[in-house]
Amino acid sequence: MNIHAYEKLWLAASLVLIVLFIGSVTYGAVGAGIAMVDDAEGVIDPDALDEDDRFADPRVEEVGENEYEVYVVAGQFFFDPGTFEPIEVPEHSQVTFYVTSPDVIHSFSIPGTNANTMVIPGEVASMTVEVGDPQEYGIVCNEFCGGGHHDMEGEFHVVPEDEFTLEADE
Amino acid sequence: MTTYIERFPAEARVIRSTFFTAFIALGIGALFGLLQVLHRTDVHRLVDSADYYHILTIHGVLLALTFTIFFLAGVFTWGLTTSLDRGVVDVRFTWAWYGLMVGGTALAAIPMFGGLIDGIDMSAGVLFTFYAPLQAHPLFYLGLALFIIGTWLAGADWIWTYLAWRRENPDERIPLPTFMVLTTTLFWYLSSLGVAIAVVVFLLPWSLGLLEQVNPLLTRTLFWYFGHPVVYFWLMPTYMLWYVLLPKVAGGKLFSDPLARVVFVLFLLLSTPTGIHHQYLDPGIAEGFKFIAMTNTMFLLLPSLLTAFTVVASVEHGARQRGGTGYLGWLGALPWRDPVFTGMALAGLMFAAAGFSGMVNAGMNINYLVHNTFWIVGHFHLTVGTAVALTFMAVTYWLLPQITGKPIWSRSVGLAQVVTWFVGMTLMSNAMHRGGLSGVPRRTAEPQYENFDFTPAFGTMAELDAGVVIGGSLLFLSAVLFLGNVFVSLTGGKDLTSIPENAYAEALSGAEDGPLILDNLKLWLVIAVLLVVLTYALPIGAIIDRGGLLGPGGSPYPLVVESGRAISIGLGEVVA
Amino acid sequence: MTEELHREIGHDEYNPVGTLVLIALYFLVLLLLWLFVYFIEFLGRDLTVVGVVI
Repeated sequence: MNIHAYEKLWLAASLVLIVLFIGSVTYGAVGAGIAMVDDAEGVIDPDALDEDDRFADPRVEEVGENEYEVYVVAGQFFFDPGTFEPIEVPEHSQVTFYVTSPDVIHSFSIPGTNANTMVIPGEVASMTVEVGDPQEYGIVCNEFCGGGHHDMEGEFHVVPEDEFTLEADE
Repeated sequence: MTTYIERFPAEARVIRSTFFTAFIALGIGALFGLLQVLHRTDVHRLVDSADYYHILTIHGVLLALTFTIFFLAGVFTWGLTTSLDRGVVDVRFTWAWYGLMVGGTALAAIPMFGGLIDGIDMSAGVLFTFYAPLQAHPLFYLGLALFIIGTWLAGADWIWTYLAWRRENPDERIPLPTFMVLTTTLFWYLSSLGVAIAVVVFLLPWSLGLLEQVNPLLTRTLFWYFGHPVVYFWLMPTYMLWYVLLPKVAGGKLFSDPLARVVFVLFLLLSTPTGIHHQYLDPGIAEGFKFIAMTNTMFLLLPSLLTAFTVVASVEHGARQRGGTGYLGWLGALPWRDPVFTGMALAGLMFAAAGFSGMVNAGMNINYLVHNTFWIVGHFHLTVGTAVALTFMAVTYWLLPQITGKPIWSRSVGLAQVVTWFVGMTLMSNAMHRGGLSGVPRRTAEPQYENFDFTPAFGTMAELDAGVVIGGSLLFLSAVLFLGNVFVSLTGGKDLTSIPENAYAEALSGAEDGPLILDNLKLWLVIAVLLVVLTYALPIGAIIDRGGLLGPGGSPYPLVVESGRAISIGLGEVVA
Repeated sequence: MTEELHREIGHDEYNPVGTLVLIALYFLVLLLLWLFVYFIEFLGRDLTVVGVVI
């Protein structure tokens, strides 16, 4: 089988590209510390979210210095919290979202940022982000979830330290 | 000079039927595409936004499954019989698979269209991916299963015919088009098994009320086990046409037959163990499995990149034989007035662009940036929507005369049609990609939100919307020109003398230059199965181990089902 | 098509140099676009998902 010299050259260049792509992604994971949404959380019965202490009362919770956990129920066609009232966290903190669904598959996505995860009934998506200066973000469901899919949105507010109060402290 | 219809009149009839079925799907799908671009951008909303999703379901299913697969079934039957110079073993069997595919499509279409019509208590507003717990009417799943079985029988027909040829020609190399049909058929069997299990074992019994619940992550994973390779089921016939027909219309020869075989073997091996790259952002799947899927996907770039070289080199060969010279000057010597050539060449050019967005989609963590955004829609409108669809339309201008004996009514209209498609898709997919980067979601009737705006890095949303509307309208116009041209051609008379001989490109480096092991399809199939087992056994095992075969709980949606079953209203509808 | 043939070019006398030029351009485009989209568009954004280890 004779392969033309130019085609051999292209084969080598193609392999260089493939190695570059896998290398970039590996750098992103190891160097920049980007973690994938994964199987870290256990399964949950979507019909019994009210028996789970995280999702019976979806909320923002302070778990350490500048560390917050946000428990979100994404259902047809709302984020709770998020839709009825904005999710609020203080500036320059580390925020972990835990999101699950009582009904169908949704997503929890903050447009214009890299925060984006699928929400699958029976599974809990967990995603940790570091927030910076105060800013108001939107939240959108980007997976088709039924006739009102386009109405499913919410807000995520990063607020100044002195304006931040936890619901429980109010 | 022999045309296809003279040599194989019985097969030509079947191919005509597969093509016409494909064209009906194309017409409806294109019209619904136009409705969607007008709806999303709020230029004109003909239907209620809740019904937009029925329109989108029909657009996706009719174009991605019906149009493509009926057309490719015809193309494969043409390629196989032409290259073996032998008819199918029993044309009644060929009609049987065609009939089953039509029957399946018709059954699935009833609830898909039913969702749009008041008074019909059936719907399938579940989109092309039908993720549980969204539930469609049982007819949707039944129709889908019958359609898939129809494609399996089509594959069996091709293999059966090949084996008959093999007995008559024990010592010959497999002709290249037949080799391509067979490798594609083998990975189609391997991959469509996933969706068959999802539909027959889980979704159909669940929609009938025989199963209480399903595991949404499992059925989703089984869908993507099929959902990625299905794009190669559309793409392989396209590659076949680029390898065996494009060099011929360019006036050249295929650069290398053995390399074409290597490419198809790589697709047989690597098409299937890649589907998890559609699930990079799924909870419940370990990062390691996602990384393995990425590695497989990245190596799957190789056969496409090799194809780019071989096909362009074959076209250049044609240009140089036609007197072309220089480093790039040879491009001017190509037959740009021929819609068959120009359509395929533009489709290939678009596919090169799609290559880039596909590389981004293949990357694991960068998926946070683009997952489920409009970027993805821009990507697959370049792949299936142009590389495949435009090639199929361009090739129709060559194949339709072969299978009907009637010349194309207007080659100039054909040329205008393929160029219009190219321009329309350039505008539309550019806007989609850029919108996606600013976070605009796919699959939504109203991508306009109350609490926030999208801010594109370059340009404005109004400009991107204009790109989508103008581009989408040009695409619809192009589809109308295509179907009109086909229709008028069919009303004309037969003129066999004006139609070129039914043949495909010879190779500069022929099959005899390739090692015999390339043709050992059993060996490649075994390796393909092993790779699939290695890639999928652990993730699927883990999903079942975590959530159980039928999942940790949950109900189907919508909860209001047809009479005869309990009507329940759940949390979802109360909130909505 | 054959009637338009100016000359017959065989396997050994054909060097697809035009293809090499095109494909080299394609390689460059892919390389630059990847570097832009991965390192500027993606890594340059806010709210990147990080591991919990801090």
